[in-house]
Amino acid sequence: MLRTKEVKHRSLALLSGVLTAAVLTACAGAPAPTQAPAAEATTAPTQAPAATEVPAATEAPAEGGESTFVTWYQYDETNTDEKSDERVGNEYLRKTIPLFNEEFKGKFKWVNQPQAWDKMVLNLVAAVQGGGEVPDLMQVSADAVATTLYQNGAMEDLTDWIKAQPWFSDLDAGAVSACTGLDGKIYCVPVAETPQLVFYWSDHFPNGYPRTPEEFMTQAEALKQKNVYAITFFGSTDFDGGAATRFFFTALASFGGGYDDGKGNMLLNRPENVKAVEFIREIVAKGYAPEIVFAGKFQEEEPMKTAEAASFPTGIFGYRYVNPLKAPSGKEYNTKTEKDMIDAIEAGDVKISSFLAPEGMKPSCGLGVTGFIIPKGAKNPDGAKAYINWIMDQRNNADWVIGPGGGVPSLNTTRAAPVFQSEFFKQSIQATAGLCRPWTGTLTNPPEAQKIIATTIYKLIKEDPTADIASELQKAQDEYNRQYAPGS
Amino acid sequence: MAAPAGTAPSATPASAVSRHRIEQGFFSRTLPFWLLLPTLLVLLAIQVVPGLFSFFLSTQTFERGEQMFVGLRNFERVFSSSAFNASLFHTLFFLIGYVTLTLIAAFVIAQILNRKLRLSPFYITVIFVPWVLSDVVVGLIFRLFIVPDYGLFSSFFANPGIFPPKGISILTTPAAPPLVSGVPFPPAPALIYLIFASAWKALPFITLLILAALQTVSREVIESAAIDGADGWRTVRHITFPLILPTLIVALFNLTLNGVNGVGLVFSLTGGGPGTATEVLSYLLYTIGFGRLDFGRAAALSVFMAIINLTLILLTLRISRSEREA
Repeated sequence: MLRTKEVKHRSLALLSGVLTAAVLTACAGAPAPTQAPAAEATTAPTQAPAATEVPAATEAPAEGGESTFVTWYQYDETNTDEKSDERVGNEYLRKTIPLFNEEFKGKFKWVNQPQAWDKMVLNLVAAVQGGGEVPDLMQVSADAVATTLYQNGAMEDLTDWIKAQPWFSDLDAGAVSACTGLDGKIYCVPVAETPQLVFYWSDHFPNGYPRTPEEFMTQAEALKQKNVYAITFFGSTDFDGGAATRFFFTALASFGGGYDDGKGNMLLNRPENVKAVEFIREIVAKGYAPEIVFAGKFQEEEPMKTAEAASFPTGIFGYRYVNPLKAPSGKEYNTKTEKDMIDAIEAGDVKISSFLAPEGMKPSCGLGVTGFIIPKGAKNPDGAKAYINWIMDQRNNADWVIGPGGGVPSLNTTRAAPVFQSEFFKQSIQATAGLCRPWTGTLTNPPEAQKIIATTIYKLIKEDPTADIASELQKAQDEYNRQYAPGS
Repeated sequence: MAAPAGTAPSATPASAVSRHRIEQGFFSRTLPFWLLLPTLLVLLAIQVVPGLFSFFLSTQTFERGEQMFVGLRNFERVFSSSAFNASLFHTLFFLIGYVTLTLIAAFVIAQILNRKLRLSPFYITVIFVPWVLSDVVVGLIFRLFIVPDYGLFSSFFANPGIFPPKGISILTTPAAPPLVSGVPFPPAPALIYLIFASAWKALPFITLLILAALQTVSREVIESAAIDGADGWRTVRHITFPLILPTLIVALFNLTLNGVNGVGLVFSLTGGGPGTATEVLSYLLYTIGFGRLDFGRAAALSVFMAIINLTLILLTLRISRSEREA
């Protein structure tokens, strides 16, 4: 009996020991939180087929042999879904990965790890801070470069290298400034510019887009009589205040205002901004914009698609998502792809313009840039640099700009390429020539700033349209500066 | 007892026996510990360590990739922001509405189902559907109903005859001016709608919970009460309600914690808008942490929320214990 009990106890002790060991092993073997991005990348639904084939980002370059070069794109070459929002970029990668690998055979092998567009930056910051797996190169918008990536020290300084490249002098100065951090160093390679422009139905504005606020109001009233909204825009506070990076900035900048004082402080309360907010407030109060403007989730695009709204200020990149289209004449562009907008522009139904500006002033707009960064801790920076040079080569540059870039080229030479002589590109380049600038300015904490700015302007135009504009702007500015201004 | 003559006293069997006894005693005493150890280790790994790390993180900030100790600065930043004050009130209103509505609706439905209707199993199955849907799916469905101009019910809400003077657009109509300065009350239509959507999602589980409790209430007791002249409401108030009170407390506990911590529905249904009208604490935490990547400040807010959660848990346990004792 004693022996039986002893056996039981020992078995229990053994079992407990085994369980404990199992738990400890599981804990030890579990990926660190910062390894999550890599795990996510290989389990994303859109790239399931390739998941098992993706080599680890840390694969060491073989001595004198072929080394793996890993990219993070928001695109997925294995996703062949024609209805995917990202089909243009997906198709581009499908076409170019074999080309690159062929050209660099024996030297570099390009492996892409697709990422969700709204998680890429988060995943990278988490990976860099936690010492996890990072790619050798990541496609990125300059917004993120100036904001979270800079703030979190997630990028390699590319200043010396980029200045030594033969194509550097050919880059648009605005694009380079968008890639420059507050410390004056260059952190990204700008390949495409994605300015905020106005897409408008030419039938609704037969004499072109209004040039001044007064002209706009006159035409907006006339359109209202025809049950047409003069404008639709991203006016909600969704996406953590994304409106501040879009139409709000374009409007304020076109009135001569902006968000910062050039020294890192927020400067909202200034006469130009007050006038711009008064202008937007009037648009909303008089019903020249549909209610859906404030619904968020990009649903403000809907009235533009059906021509119920006459104009839509948005990023040039938006041409891919605003479809299908139905012109005021009833003509439909219904492939449900980016081709719809391009076709409508070619046919003259939709035109592209810069925003308006008060008499005697030039309109302005937000300037976005897409390009590349090399993350801190990249294992194969040589592969990344070879890739960047490959993309900046005239043979490949245009394809990238109209593919993943979705904008106009940052390289002036590329702008002369035949593919950029279409109406869409000609009008885009003309509409933005030298007028745009990054919304972030010198702000040291743009993510926080955009939320505060968007919430304040939203309040002034929608929530409390009788509130004193100057004092509300001052309040927002004080709240930001108290916590985030340099030296605060 | 002495050893038999001629046999040398051997130390081995005696020490073996005493070792057995010691081991037996040791294992008997420590067996619960060994059985609990794996669970404790798992809890340690996934709850305690991350919890402590969050607290550590709440005292840190990242400047150009450099981690720095900032003491309580993150807490100060959180508490002094206007967004925090507003979201605290939104959370409170949301909780009151969500918990009350869900409990009342679940109680009524459970009472009806407990009457053993002809198709009770079918009704239970139908009622269970929202429970298997994810928050994000529920949020998107409810959003599609009310998108301005395009939603299934948007014209109903926009009808001035029903919602004078101009009709409303749930997703975009701001809250009425506050009755008390600094307190965002009355809430925006979107917050009320969010409460409805959340209650709809939570209803199945709470209904089943209450239904199960109702089925344990003895029919004899109910019938005796009826014979003694108690009407329906008195029976519910004085018999059913006290008997299922422990279950109601569990339901309350469950709803409150879900209400404080849930973020999926806010994310997919309103995105915190219009303005900040539906920005509850959990959503604010999400945006600070995963939108702005300000992990220090997000950790400070999460510590604050953990304290709220702990307070609620302790409060519920205390109420539960005093009810049991009563």
